[in-house]
Amino acid sequence: MTGWHLDDDALRRYVERTDSLAEGASAEQHLLSCEPCRARVNAAASAIELSVIDFAAVWDRTRDAVEMPQPSVFERLLRGAGLPAHEARLVAVASAFRGVWLTGVVAVLAFAALAAAVGHARGEWLFLAVAPIVPCLVVASSYDPWMDPALEPELVTPYPALRLILLRTITVLALALPAVLLFGLVVPGETAFAWLLPAVGFVAVVLAASTWVSPLRAAIAVSSVWLAVVWLLAARSGSPVAVLQARAQAAFLALAGVSFSIFLLRRRRLRQLRPWRQ
Amino acid sequence: MDSGPGDEMLLAAVAERDMGAFRTLYERHAGWLAIRLARRCNDRDLVADAIQDTFVAVWQRPRGFRGDGDIAAWLWGIAIRRLVSRLRTGSSVAAVFENAEPAPTAEDQVLLSVEYGDIGQALARLSPEMRAVIQAVVLDGLSAREAAHLLHVPVSSVKTRLYRAKAHLRAALAEGSS
Amino acid sequence: MVTASISLREVGRTFGATRALAGVDLDLEPGVTGLLGPNGAGKTTLLRLLATALPPTRGQVRVLGLDPEVPAERTGIRRQLGYQPQEIGFPRGFTAFAFVDYIALLKEWTEPAARHAEVRRVLDLVGLSGLGAKRIRAMSGGQRRRVALAQALLGSPPVLILDEPATGVDPEQRVTLRAVLAEIARASVVVLSTHQTEDVAALCERVIVLEGGRVRYDGPVTDLTGQAAGRVWLADEPDPAAKVSWRTGTGRYRNIGTSVRDDVEHVEPSLEDAYLLLRGGSPKREAADEVAS
Repeated sequence: MTGWHLDDDALRRYVERTDSLAEGASAEQHLLSCEPCRARVNAAASAIELSVIDFAAVWDRTRDAVEMPQPSVFERLLRGAGLPAHEARLVAVASAFRGVWLTGVVAVLAFAALAAAVGHARGEWLFLAVAPIVPCLVVASSYDPWMDPALEPELVTPYPALRLILLRTITVLALALPAVLLFGLVVPGETAFAWLLPAVGFVAVVLAASTWVSPLRAAIAVSSVWLAVVWLLAARSGSPVAVLQARAQAAFLALAGVSFSIFLLRRRRLRQLRPWRQ
Repeated sequence: MDSGPGDEMLLAAVAERDMGAFRTLYERHAGWLAIRLARRCNDRDLVADAIQDTFVAVWQRPRGFRGDGDIAAWLWGIAIRRLVSRLRTGSSVAAVFENAEPAPTAEDQVLLSVEYGDIGQALARLSPEMRAVIQAVVLDGLSAREAAHLLHVPVSSVKTRLYRAKAHLRAALAEGSS
Repeated sequence: MVTASISLREVGRTFGATRALAGVDLDLEPGVTGLLGPNGAGKTTLLRLLATALPPTRGQVRVLGLDPEVPAERTGIRRQLGYQPQEIGFPRGFTAFAFVDYIALLKEWTEPAARHAEVRRVLDLVGLSGLGAKRIRAMSGGQRRRVALAQALLGSPPVLILDEPATGVDPEQRVTLRAVLAEIARASVVVLSTHQTEDVAALCERVIVLEGGRVRYDGPVTDLTGQAAGRVWLADEPDPAAKVSWRTGTGRYRNIGTSVRDDVEHVEPSLEDAYLLLRGGSPKREAADEVAS
């Protein structure tokens, strides 16, 4: 080595902390720009009897901290809600797939709620048209292959497909429903809650239909039908009384019950790749 | 200045998420950083945590090094601040690390550049508290607040001791050169 | 009595009007089996069937003695199965470690420490141990294939189904891949599909050639190669009598023909020669200047 370097004695005194402040300062200033001397200090660091720190253990912790996926806020919430750690992780990971989609949904809803609050009966119709279809669209997106790019390797794992779909459904509903409810508060009258049963009904229909066709297609079909119905009803009457009647609400409940039963009966089909591709 | 063959390349590789390069960086620098930290803090667990925090910070912002000066100096700047952080909060660590240490004043540079024989004696005559402050503020480049956390004293004490220490040193140097 | 680990009887699969597979009879045991065939031959469909991702429209499938049509047994199969699909659209923002960890979760690795150790093990096997923290979207195609392979290797499954594992992987990595698969195949059934006859020749004891959804050949690699014995020769010009003929790197022409001739410079047949011979059986094929893919 050429140039000035720490002699062995000075190095030893530095490492053992038996030097003076000035000597130490000089050594440290030198070390900042001298790689060979740093290497010698490193060697001393692991060689001295009472080693400074357990370098291997610290490395393991450091590597884990940067390599292992850290639980997201959502995941910690789910764990707090009582879900076991690994299931919380599963559901939280799945919902990473649709962040952008949800923002779009919220935007649409905000517009609809605003229209309902500002406008009159027209506004109410708009809210009633949009609110019930949001949950089923969101649920469909949680397990449609188009939205879930990693479906194929996921599918052939032993984890029950039904459980995964239902967990995701419940989770996205838990995300979407409060948003819709909140906006519903802005809407005057009973319309604020008249959409709930239709929403449940449509989710059930999409679940059932997903055993025949792709979930997203089913959701779009259901949404289109509903929008058409609302359009027709709105053209004929001024206020959405028809929907609010007990008979209509009961019909939606029945629809939900029947659809969900069909879904459970045909759930075997969900364990295959694109069962609707016949 | 050359920080040793490959350190800059290692940082670039870390930016590309190369764990092997990260490990090499750790093996090159964890040792001397730990020794230097241990000279400021007796608690080995804190030193270990600070080393961990340092390298996690390097991983999170490898491009924080602007290429000016030694990588070793940049690493030390992160390490000492991680230590101060740990001392202050007790357990949690800030995710964003502060910029590199501020440039030393002209006076500080004079103090450092004098042949350390004279200054060594002058420093030796200072009380331990004043020496600690000199080390923290002048040599490690900490702010008064950071030094206060490191030394467990109020900020006002840091400023007073620093003032007195510099006065003593100036007097001792004037003595020495006459 | 040793039962075959995977068996198919008269298996067929139709998609609407298209018949992807028909009349497939197979028995597969521990070792590496290669699946060769042109695009559209039904390789991916067959692999999906073996991986329990698709049910057959006819016939019977048994994996490790279990029937994928019975839900409880299907789960039992999936516990012992690793599957690398042809394409995985990796989700955004996932690092290699995070994705393999996610699949490990689905594979019932509930205990975090054991799971993380297993994730590191498989990433190490495929040569990605230094890149676990890298985002998959930022990786090259070959690296992504390796992530896809890593998740299939979780748990060292007794049944390993790989759809084009070597595509896009550079030559050095392919050598490592061969070593990894050879090791696993000591106790597991490994089925892989590929376009590269060299991979089959180097890695597989057994080869199945699929064409139009049917099995054209099923047997040891050496036997298939042997079918081209005495039917491959070199010449300075493409031979009109040959079924397939192409210009090699040395400037001479390699000819493959169904007629056995004595007056030419014969060479040792490769698996590729035998495969081309098998495929080029139709008399309508042009012989001259046909370049092997």
